Amino acid sequence: MRNPDLIGSNRRALGLVILGIVLSLILFSMPLYSFNACVYTKKSPNTFVGDEKYRTVRAEVEQVADDYRAQGFAAEIGEDVLERVNSKGETTSLITFTVNQSLSKSPLSMLGCGFPASYVLAAMLFLMGLALVCAILGSVGTMDLVHFHLDRRTASLRNLAAVALLLALLLVPVFILMNNVAFSRRIALYNAGLLEEGKDALFAKMDRLLFDGRMGADIGKALSGLTMEHSGLIWMLLPAILMSLLAAVQLRYGSIKSSALRACLYFFVVIVCVVTLYPYYVMTITAFRSNAETLDMYFLHLFPTKWIWSNLSDIIHRGVPRYLLNSLLVAGGATGLAMLCGIPAAYAMARMNFKGKKAFLGFVIMSQMFSPVVLLIGISQLMNTLHLNDSVLGLMLINAAFNQAFAIWLLRGTFVSISSEMEQAALIDGCGTFGALTKVLLPMAMPGIVTALIFVFINAWNEYTIATVLISTASNRPITVGITQFSSFNMIEWQYLFAASLVATLPVVVLFMSIEKHLTSGLTSGGVKG
Amino acid sequence: MNSPLNRHKWEPYLWLLPSIILIAVFVVFPIIIVFKLSFSEISKAGVIGGYIGFQNYRDAVHLPAFRTVMLNTFWWVISVVGISTILGFVVAMVFNQKFRGRKIARAILVFPWATSLVIQASVWNYIIKYEYGSLNSVLLNLGIIKQAINWRSSYQIEFIWECGVGIFVTVPFVAFCVLSGLQSIDDSYYEAATVDGAGFWDKLFKITLPMVRPSLTVSTVLNIIYVFNSFPIVFTMTKGAPANKTDTMITYLYMLSFYERKKGPATALSVIGFLILCACAGIYMMTVMRKEDEQ
Repeated sequence: MRNPDLIGSNRRALGLVILGIVLSLILFSMPLYSFNACVYTKKSPNTFVGDEKYRTVRAEVEQVADDYRAQGFAAEIGEDVLERVNSKGETTSLITFTVNQSLSKSPLSMLGCGFPASYVLAAMLFLMGLALVCAILGSVGTMDLVHFHLDRRTASLRNLAAVALLLALLLVPVFILMNNVAFSRRIALYNAGLLEEGKDALFAKMDRLLFDGRMGADIGKALSGLTMEHSGLIWMLLPAILMSLLAAVQLRYGSIKSSALRACLYFFVVIVCVVTLYPYYVMTITAFRSNAETLDMYFLHLFPTKWIWSNLSDIIHRGVPRYLLNSLLVAGGATGLAMLCGIPAAYAMARMNFKGKKAFLGFVIMSQMFSPVVLLIGISQLMNTLHLNDSVLGLMLINAAFNQAFAIWLLRGTFVSISSEMEQAALIDGCGTFGALTKVLLPMAMPGIVTALIFVFINAWNEYTIATVLISTASNRPITVGITQFSSFNMIEWQYLFAASLVATLPVVVLFMSIEKHLTSGLTSGGVKG
Repeated sequence: MNSPLNRHKWEPYLWLLPSIILIAVFVVFPIIIVFKLSFSEISKAGVIGGYIGFQNYRDAVHLPAFRTVMLNTFWWVISVVGISTILGFVVAMVFNQKFRGRKIARAILVFPWATSLVIQASVWNYIIKYEYGSLNSVLLNLGIIKQAINWRSSYQIEFIWECGVGIFVTVPFVAFCVLSGLQSIDDSYYEAATVDGAGFWDKLFKITLPMVRPSLTVSTVLNIIYVFNSFPIVFTMTKGAPANKTDTMITYLYMLSFYERKKGPATALSVIGFLILCACAGIYMMTVMRKEDEQ
């Protein structure tokens, strides 16, 4: 049974796969990179356009250009006239003659030049070739099959085509990035004399690429005024390969509309994840850089040139372990206290009837509304009176109190959702109320308790404002305040700041991820920190 | 529920006692202190004098930066809460779809929420540095820009960056609130709507939005309060500079009381902030209590 519609749409999809690959090949062979090198410069002072000196110098320059042309280079003469009236009212003039070479290179011609980017290019070409072969092999004789009736071999061939195209798509920005770093940015820095290392090797490769290696020792001079620009057209690689990719997905799964929607969905998710992770990438990368590299003005290195692991050991000597210990004490103590006070209260709220229950609930919610910041002055005054100023204990108490509301609220929700029958049975068996709570209810409510516990812990761990106000002795600082010592007003030691931040962030992020499942259920019933 | 647990009339109160003491001493007491201080004379050295009526409030309102700071606070709260609610809603809608890697994506979304705001703000501080920041580095190397851009060329732009960081850390919270609402919607509603021929927008406005409205309300009101109270972002990124032009009320009152030694007006500002929060909290409580009654 042959289905002409199906054959038609499958053929179209295969056609689009091939078209996308062909388009990107065309793009690769277009002269997208334009180089402009100034190989010869002659400055001629006191010369006016058209006078005798001008003609002599011009002839001289043209001779040089002709020499280059004779060697088979393209050479153009440029002139730049600078006229100025000096203090005596005379006009002076300076003419600068240059012999320029404008070259356009296609990405394909960069293959085999030994640049990192050319290996990426080779990989892309290989992937696209693979996709092409797989898509065609996977279509021979199977065009009339519905996508879920494909045999294993065809299905995996078509899958492979899609995966190869996806990888090729991801390599596009990598390729553009590497070319930019290698040519445009590095050469600008070499020419400005800001960077020396690796210069000769790069210039030798440039010689091979631009002048077929004929410049030899003159290459430094030839590249002295080199600029490189890539045409914006190169970004068209992205839609071209994306089109191939979508068509390959259609070939495998049938419908183009749902594959396009799917692609949008993944695109959005990837963007959200990349943006979210970006600060963490920066934090991690910077934590392992040398101090000089964190302040690198040339923006050359997306990754540390050398991973400085000693940053981690350096911060140990700068008091970070002590701060971490303080944070652990504050957060652990606050969590313990908040639970110790919160569990009985939540229990009473969930299981008992009494006058003023609603009023207490209101009281609790109200207390949740006030972040300690607005009450800073009151709190510091209170702590002065209690002689808890500048102490870990004071910080612990404040954190416990301000997290009380959330703890009660979340625990109450958990307790209410558990039937009270078991406890009643325990009570009849002669357990006290306390026994019924500890032996029966608490074990059953463990997941909810753990969620509340971790939440309070993280809130206390991340607290910053109260700690800056209350704590003045360095050895009593929690980590959030402790890291600010690395960013003093006139000098910021970014590598230490972020190494300490990394150490302070990792445990809580892991903890938080462990309760992520419960977040969605617990959130709207109570409400938590923002 | 009248269970055998109620053996004595006073027993429930005993269970509540530790919690009440904790909240009373460390939350209610400071409130009272701030109120009392706001009507007292406070010297530069912090010595507390007698009752001076509303003088502190008059001083606070006549502070040169008062207007700017209030306006900043307004824009700060409105933009951060507004934009992150919209973005968070969109993110939640997408993350509620079934797709491969959803668990990982959700775990990643949690990151900004779990990270201390000081750390977040420091990292963004580094990212947008003109001379060596990471954003310039990435854009330059991709060839998207030709020259390093000064991302913080004026205080207005710096304030916008602060709002941006605020949005960045608030979106996950909104997204998870909305996700919890979305997950409680029964699929049968959508199926019925599809049978009736409803399109995407019909479903969005007639089913999704009404159903997640309670979660949206809770997250919005809570966000108003948290964003209003937010201190570390502004403090880390600009410290309110230049001349309190990027301060919000919270950072301003910190500066007033602990740097400029003007505790009197600072306490008055605290009380004003407190009253604004009370209004928000009142709305929030009514919403929550009503929800509680429905259940």
